[in-house]
Amino acid sequence: MKFSSNWIREFVEGLDLPAESLERLITMKTAECEGVETVGALLSEATPARVLTVEPIEGSHNVKATVEAGRYGVRTVVCGAPNCRPGITTVYVPLGVKVVSGIESNGMLASGAELEITKDHAGIIELTEPLPPLPSADSVIEIDNKSITHRPDLWGHYGMAREVAAIAGKPLRDPVKMDLLPKPGSPVQVEIEDLALCPRYSALVFENVRVMPSPLWLQFRLIAVGLNPINNIVDLTNYIMAELAQPMHAFDRAKLAGDTIYARPARAGERITALNDEAYELTPSTVVIADAAGPIAIAGVIGGRDSAISEGTTSIVLESANFQAASVRKTSSALKLRTDASMRFEKAQDPHNTVRALARALELLPLISPGIRLVGGLADQMRAITEAAPVLLDLDWLARKLGRELEPKAVEGILTSLEFRVAQVKPGVLSVGIPSWRATKDVAMADDLVEEVGRMIGYDSITPTPPLVPCAPSYDPPEREFLRGVKRQVSAQGYSEVSNYSFVSEEEARKLGLAVDDHVRVLNPIAAGQELLRTSLLPGLCRNIIENAKYSEQFRLFEVGHEIHRVDGAKPVEKSHLMAAIFSREGDGREGLFELKRVAEGLAPGVRAHAVAEPREWEHPARCAELWWNGRAIGRLSEISPRIIEEGRAAVVDLDLELLRELAPAPASYRPIRKVPGSAFDLSIITEARRAAVDLELEIRRFAGELAESVEYVREYQGAPLEPGQKSVSFRVVVTAADRTLSSAEIAEMRARLIDGLKSSGFDLRI
Amino acid sequence: MQELIDNALVRIGSAASAEELETVRVEVLGRKGVLTQLSKDMGKLSHEERAARGKFINASKEALEGAWQSRKDAFEREALAKRLDAEWLDLTIPAPQPRLGTLHPITKIQWEIEDLFRSMGFSVLDGPEVETEFHNFDALNIPGDHPARDMQDTFWLDGGYLLRTHTSPVQVRGMEKLGPPLRMIAPGRVFRNESVDASHEHTFYQLEGMMIDRNVSVGNLIYFMKTLLTSIFHREVTVRLRPGYFPFVEPGFELDISCLICGGTGCPVCKQSGWVELLPCGLVNPHVLKMSGIDPNKWNGFAFGLGLTRLVMMRYAIDDIRWLQSGDLRFLRQF
Repeated sequence: MKFSSNWIREFVEGLDLPAESLERLITMKTAECEGVETVGALLSEATPARVLTVEPIEGSHNVKATVEAGRYGVRTVVCGAPNCRPGITTVYVPLGVKVVSGIESNGMLASGAELEITKDHAGIIELTEPLPPLPSADSVIEIDNKSITHRPDLWGHYGMAREVAAIAGKPLRDPVKMDLLPKPGSPVQVEIEDLALCPRYSALVFENVRVMPSPLWLQFRLIAVGLNPINNIVDLTNYIMAELAQPMHAFDRAKLAGDTIYARPARAGERITALNDEAYELTPSTVVIADAAGPIAIAGVIGGRDSAISEGTTSIVLESANFQAASVRKTSSALKLRTDASMRFEKAQDPHNTVRALARALELLPLISPGIRLVGGLADQMRAITEAAPVLLDLDWLARKLGRELEPKAVEGILTSLEFRVAQVKPGVLSVGIPSWRATKDVAMADDLVEEVGRMIGYDSITPTPPLVPCAPSYDPPEREFLRGVKRQVSAQGYSEVSNYSFVSEEEARKLGLAVDDHVRVLNPIAAGQELLRTSLLPGLCRNIIENAKYSEQFRLFEVGHEIHRVDGAKPVEKSHLMAAIFSREGDGREGLFELKRVAEGLAPGVRAHAVAEPREWEHPARCAELWWNGRAIGRLSEISPRIIEEGRAAVVDLDLELLRELAPAPASYRPIRKVPGSAFDLSIITEARRAAVDLELEIRRFAGELAESVEYVREYQGAPLEPGQKSVSFRVVVTAADRTLSSAEIAEMRARLIDGLKSSGFDLRI
Repeated sequence: MQELIDNALVRIGSAASAEELETVRVEVLGRKGVLTQLSKDMGKLSHEERAARGKFINASKEALEGAWQSRKDAFEREALAKRLDAEWLDLTIPAPQPRLGTLHPITKIQWEIEDLFRSMGFSVLDGPEVETEFHNFDALNIPGDHPARDMQDTFWLDGGYLLRTHTSPVQVRGMEKLGPPLRMIAPGRVFRNESVDASHEHTFYQLEGMMIDRNVSVGNLIYFMKTLLTSIFHREVTVRLRPGYFPFVEPGFELDISCLICGGTGCPVCKQSGWVELLPCGLVNPHVLKMSGIDPNKWNGFAFGLGLTRLVMMRYAIDDIRWLQSGDLRFLRQF
């Protein structure tokens, strides 16, 4: 929102602060300013000038003109405007002497656009008698819209002027003369179907209207605050909106069907072509303004094209209404149409303001459309306005909240300057009446007044004070420390942490064979690749592998992040996972897989890999395993299919971190060191080459039972004298007794028992 | 006799190798060696002669053994030196893979900030990335028709869920779970539905925190922020508060710090203002407390948000936010 400092000055008597100071004060006490710019900079030197003579210049479309330029005397200028002719009054700007088309030109004649007082750049500006005073250059302060979303009153200059007056300690002048407002009795009737959606609709009817360009001062004001001048009637509605924050609309009365104006929900199937030439299909959730024939405006958003003001308009209905903020906001976002009106209404405008705007129009309309006549009185339908109850403000409480002492007089002064109605209930307690323009959304409780007093007295006046807090240990969720440990451990083993998006594209999911239906879908992605939420860290890491392989021969990566899984009829489930990846352009991939297995073992000591029955689509079908720990599957170890990683070898290990933390054994108590040594012997089992070693180990354990302290894989062997397709796998078995050294006879017996057991289940042993 | 010994000494001294020395030792000091020979006819000697011979043999033995030992040590030293020399290694070549890996810069800064807060008695809490509309908006005093919802472009999901637009929902969950008094922060990944460029990301990291206690004032908030920021930036930081609007606090502030680049005199980083907008904060809105089951007449507090991603970029002078989510090792290995 742009604020003209000239405009603000009209309402603050004796305001002598430069715009830059205003900007700083407004930033510190009211809302964030984004900068100050000068509009109409040329105006400070400009003067009206009459063109005396015009001569063509040979070989140029420019002309040489002499002008009577007020305080600058007679000047010769070169001008390129097609309308430069003797007798007209235009504007001269002294810019120094410059040679143009071979002629010395002392200054220039300016167009309205060059002066920034109109949008016209077709030719030099032409002033008509009686000569209007040229407006003064303006400093425009831009306020961040986000910082005034809670302040409906700050969407107009008068509201900002009230802040400035309070900040500067100057009197505020209200531009509205309410006594101009006529008595009820308008030629148009107003019917509001739902007073919740349209709490107030006020209107006046005028005749003998002349539609023409607005006077310069009005056009200049609109341009300064970023609005486009259109014609005097439309410009006036915009002017009052920018001044009082009350959006208005003017209908061409001749184009309305009947004398009743309805504010009602649209009927299903109704359509309207709006002022922006777009046609909108309306639904009953949209409130429209309608005449007997149908919608003539989308309430609070935009007017209809067919009833718009045009050059031939002679009679108007001037609307000044109040609409429900939520309804306007919904309509505006449903139609994807944000207008100056909708932006204001969705902040919850003050219903008192409708007639104020009409009173202001009554004063200004004769200035911009001379001869205009009011027809009849005021049309005004409304819901009873309930005044907000006063808020009790305990001054001790206020001082505690702010953390500084406060003079009761200072508090009263601040609130009064912002037009809160202050009365003392008892010593130290104020009753604070909330002005209607602050009561719609913004101020409702004492805490809101803390802000009013705090910002005006200045937060820099508060002494920083250490808080008094209980001496208690903080609650630390154990999973956080666990996650840190995981990240530290994996990175210490050579892996670099990456952070990938939570999004995957449908195409990616398909390519990896991840079921698209298991994904949570994003309903409003704004870029490609954001359609789904990741159910695995894999897609991100695959992207990383492919990208980094462009620069690197070998690398290690990991990510700790959330998998997000769709659940029918319930909130999606998030699982914290670790995925570590290794890539090498050279080699057969074996080393990488076992290195990853070691990473898994570091986090889950004793983790076992088991062959998987059905490899996933993205996995190398002969190089993948499920990882089991303490009776649960906690993850997978897999080489990525060459279909995905075409060059080099890439493998990943994927671990469910929540499960891992849950299964991690609690620290056990100390086990005394055994005094008698265990005895070891080796067993070599002959089996088919693809038999998983872990299965053999489990078989041995099954037969060894309590006897075996450990069963460890030693090595395997293929080749003569074994049959092709066979292998021999050796395990070292350590057996012990708790209290004594086993005799060789006992050991031999145990070994024999194991061998018999294994043989009985069909294993061949090399003995 | 002396000649015999002298001879033996010469042979020990001139042995060319450990093996030769051993041969000499056997011949001289061995059971059939020179000394043994000399003691063989001891029985035939007179008492005086025997004493003299004994003395001579002992002295000679000592001399021979000494000579042999020092010669032997010399050979061993030489052999060791030779072996060690043969074991020469070029330690200037790189160690084999893997090198130490790296933590993501966001992880590093996040841990640093978490530890700082923990040292001040704060709990560090986590929450889900997929949130309900209630926790992300309504419980924070942002009902459905509130224009503040426009401030945060939201990724909407199947089933009416959304990706959290801030970590504030964790505060709500923290208040529900822990109750007052309370000091907590919630760091984590948040999402805004906007286009990505050098300074905007749809995925970034935030840290929000709150302190709920009795009689927490704006003065406490300023003090706390000053202390916190001084620790984060490792130097004295000047802060200022100005009004800011966030529905879950009342009053709400924008906190600026005096520009760390120019010290407050004005430079391009602070757009010549001397101040840099750093974080939003405020006193927790009583409605928010009430919605989380806390009695606002007994308890109040402050809340604040800190852009972790922004802090990371400031700390490491990263000029393009997209590096952080790029997964590019050329970038990541620098941390």
